[in-house]
Amino acid sequence: MSTTVLTTPVVDPAFKQFLDRRVEPTWLTNLRLAAWEQYQSMNWPTRSEEDWMRSDLRGFHLDKYRPLEAREVTQEACPTWLLDGVETDGQLRSVDGVVQHEQLSPEAASRGIYFGSLERACQTLGNVVEQYLMKTVDYKADKFSALQAASWASGAFIHVPRNVSVDKPLHIHSGMTDGGVDTSHILIVLEENASATVLCECSSITETSDGFHCGGLEIILKPGAQLRFVKLQEWGDRVWHFAQQRAVVDRNASIQWTLAAMGAKFVQVAQQVSLVGEGATSQVNGTMFTRGKQQMTYNTLQSHEAPHCTSDFLYKAALQDRSRTVWRGMIKVAPGAFKTDGYQRNDNLMLSEHARADSIPGLEIKADDVRCTHGSTTGRVDDELIFYAQSRGFTRQEAVHLIVTGFFQQIFDRISIESVRKALGHAIARQVRQYE
Amino acid sequence: MQSHVKFGNTNRFIHTVPIESQFTTICPLTDLKPAVPQTFELDDQFILLVRYQDDVYCIEDVCTHDGGTLGEGELDGHCIICPRHGAKFDVRTGEAVTMPATEPTKSYEVKIDAGMVTVRLVDQ
Repeated sequence: MSTTVLTTPVVDPAFKQFLDRRVEPTWLTNLRLAAWEQYQSMNWPTRSEEDWMRSDLRGFHLDKYRPLEAREVTQEACPTWLLDGVETDGQLRSVDGVVQHEQLSPEAASRGIYFGSLERACQTLGNVVEQYLMKTVDYKADKFSALQAASWASGAFIHVPRNVSVDKPLHIHSGMTDGGVDTSHILIVLEENASATVLCECSSITETSDGFHCGGLEIILKPGAQLRFVKLQEWGDRVWHFAQQRAVVDRNASIQWTLAAMGAKFVQVAQQVSLVGEGATSQVNGTMFTRGKQQMTYNTLQSHEAPHCTSDFLYKAALQDRSRTVWRGMIKVAPGAFKTDGYQRNDNLMLSEHARADSIPGLEIKADDVRCTHGSTTGRVDDELIFYAQSRGFTRQEAVHLIVTGFFQQIFDRISIESVRKALGHAIARQVRQYE
Repeated sequence: MQSHVKFGNTNRFIHTVPIESQFTTICPLTDLKPAVPQTFELDDQFILLVRYQDDVYCIEDVCTHDGGTLGEGELDGHCIICPRHGAKFDVRTGEAVTMPATEPTKSYEVKIDAGMVTVRLVDQ
């Protein structure tokens, strides 16, 4: 039982039970209560809302997953790909939101680096976590965000002190059983001139698994900090994936954010990078490769809030079968953010006549003397290319694999971590459908 | 084998056998009111049943223009009108007959068996 002073009485029995199972500081319980109140006051998103206009939620039934129920520690092993040939300074593994393993090298720990379970950090580093948790993402954005803020479990906290570099990557893996739930939250804080590489991946126990992921990601980079963040999403074919992700990048800090979205039945992600200090830079490399009836929506925002900042978003999607992608990108330049250099691009490769890609780039500029460019291309694979490859002895599947790999090459060229390039290559190979 | 659960305004079926191989019983014919489209969920798929004149038709409940539901649309003769942008689909064939839709929506075979509406979820 938690001993807390609550600002709001808990009326919902399921949520009360959820809170009673946890031993958490009062500030966190109150934060959960505020989010739960918000959750209960909101309706599920509808197609009348811009971010959800192209999303079909009819098949989603929350009652099937029960995110508030207690979850057992399971020893199930879900596959990982980003660790191949990589030495790490720390690893954190969870299944269905229950931490199974956490480790940080003694050398990294001796330099004041924290890497481990967010739940544990709320207990042991409460005064630090309280400053940042749920301050960067907006839990009032929609009902899923409110649910995540109220019911998050597991996840990671990374804190790197001033002028400290994490030499080797930190690895976070979230696994999910068939029909499982993952509401993990990741909070990364790099103090002034700190640097780190974080490899994050998620996968289901089998390729055909069902499940519900409702996640949050907050990244705070203080002046001069540098982060390379990689996310590989390989959930099972029947998983519903909702996430709100935001990075706040301060003066002369930089982030390179690479993501590969391959799995899940339905994906809806709101991704935002806010450049709040002069000279901040961000590069986002996104790959989506879909098949079957997958639907993936990425709503991205590059928010320039200070002068002399640079943002570069490149999203590439390859679509098979009857799958669908929606990419809605926005560059916002605030008044006074002069000398902004913003770039966004979305390329789509259609591998089937029944697939559909919606690409909606946008600009909202309220400052003079800026350079903002955006572009979008959508095209089909030339059948002659496939025919030529087949005439040289390749199967159709191999030919498609070659063409898709070439299409994603621009992303590969921007990734500086060998194991990530390799893992992405394997993920693409796994995703190419079988041709009869 | 199937179980039937009601979720909001949509009827939901959960199957334990592959649905492509057989006709699936959906509802009694008497449950379908003439010219009133009705949506059903079967194994993550949404279908629309329409009783028009003496026949029952089944199409996928998806507007191929924006990917949304057609279920709240009205019938205009043998066509259903998308409630958002006005695209029309022929419920007999799934054909898109009015812009902005240009691609047909899926159409499924329907049989009436002992007063029950059954559907075969394989593309025609």
